[in-house]
Amino acid sequence: MEIKYIDALAALALVILAIGLARYKSIPAEKEMAYGSIRAFIQLVAVGYVLEFIFNTESIWLVIMAVAAMLLVGSYTAGDRDKHTGRGFPIALISMTAGSLVTLVLMLALGIITTEARYLIPLAGMIISNSMNSSSITLERVGADLKGNRLEIETALSLGKTWQEASRRIYRNAVRAGLISILNYLKTVGIVALPGAMTGMILAGISPLKAVLLQIIVSYMLLSAVTITSLLTGELAVRRFFNKADQFTG
Amino acid sequence: MNSSEPSSPGVENKILEVLEASRLVVNKSESITTVETVSFSFQKGEIYNLIGPSGAGKSSFLRLLNRLDEPTSGRILFRGKPLNTYPPPELRRRIVMLFQEPYLFSGTVLNNLEYCCPDNNRRDLSGVLECVGLPLNMADKDTAGLSVGERQRVALARAIILEPEVLLLDEPTSALDPASARIVEDLILGLVRQLCLTAIIVTHNPEQAQRFGGTTLMMAKGSLVESGPTEKLLTDPKTEAARKYIRREVS
Repeated sequence: MEIKYIDALAALALVILAIGLARYKSIPAEKEMAYGSIRAFIQLVAVGYVLEFIFNTESIWLVIMAVAAMLLVGSYTAGDRDKHTGRGFPIALISMTAGSLVTLVLMLALGIITTEARYLIPLAGMIISNSMNSSSITLERVGADLKGNRLEIETALSLGKTWQEASRRIYRNAVRAGLISILNYLKTVGIVALPGAMTGMILAGISPLKAVLLQIIVSYMLLSAVTITSLLTGELAVRRFFNKADQFTG
Repeated sequence: MNSSEPSSPGVENKILEVLEASRLVVNKSESITTVETVSFSFQKGEIYNLIGPSGAGKSSFLRLLNRLDEPTSGRILFRGKPLNTYPPPELRRRIVMLFQEPYLFSGTVLNNLEYCCPDNNRRDLSGVLECVGLPLNMADKDTAGLSVGERQRVALARAIILEPEVLLLDEPTSALDPASARIVEDLILGLVRQLCLTAIIVTHNPEQAQRFGGTTLMMAKGSLVESGPTEKLLTDPKTEAARKYIRREVS
């Protein structure tokens, strides 16, 4: 299927339908819908040009810069939501970078992908958006649960436990919360929803049998990246609540 | 009270020495002095009551003694060495603190007792239950189903497994009915004698302090205003602050 600008413009009819429905039911969202749709249009067209440019130049430095920019925006978004640690952005940045790098380097080492921009950029994008959500959830859980369970933490500390031991239950729960979405995804992938990458390939005319192979790789890649991100986010976030004397400072 | 020179015989018995300790808590909007230049020496195997109105800094002071909080000035010595020369977990196993509201970890009573045992030293824990007057079959009970009195006793049992030298008790009976409170009081007294522990007990109740005996420290507005033998301090307080407080609490 060959898609043209005119098709994208025609799809605006769907936006008009949504806005019409919102207006009819007096849902105060029409402005945001219009703004969001226009923004998405411009953003995506711009990204299309940028990617086209990067793919054509085939410079690894451009790829690295693009991935770095994605990481910065993603970790800023994840960290910005954090109300507890006061260091959400650096925590998210470190853990998301580690999760993405380890996973992508492993995939390169295993020969699953090459350093071509058309592999690295979309895969990094998927990794970063999933890691962003998981980092954000883990940050929130660590903060809320530590602050809400002061007595538990201080009881453990008062019985001679280290800060790691005192916060272990909360750390584990927070990491687990950060993994829920990827775990749900693994269980339902292909059944409840056809994932984006696979849908894209099928729409582009590639055989479903080939498309699922890619999707399997993508799923495992996301699991690895999200797990590393969530573990590190939890670790770094918990550490913010204790000082060197194993005192709870939250 | 004790101001003996380092060479005097009393020094061997000094377990905790507080030297002009203060704690200033700085919040976003204000800074509060929770403990103000307190100096005191606690002796081994003795009982100390910490009395004073709410907000007097009793709990804040207690938290400095096992280094749950840090003094902003002054020093605290445990067995002659500053608290910060001990690794915090080790220090807190030797100076154990029990909170007003006992927190038990989810699971059974036994799980809670085991929580305090080193992995390679799962000794027989039934003796500990006996020590705090709980029946042996209590071990397998889920902590969720325990009464507050039972919870406080499990918390005590969990603390003594660590074989501490000092017990810090922050209003250990305030959540209990009078009958259970008396049981816990007797238990604390028994444990202190039996295990030669030093106990520092925050209490709101002068009558309870009287039953514990030992020495009483009166705190007000973060400062230690008076200290002395419990009986004497309660019946013949020297300071106006102590007199007022005791009269109000007893009436």
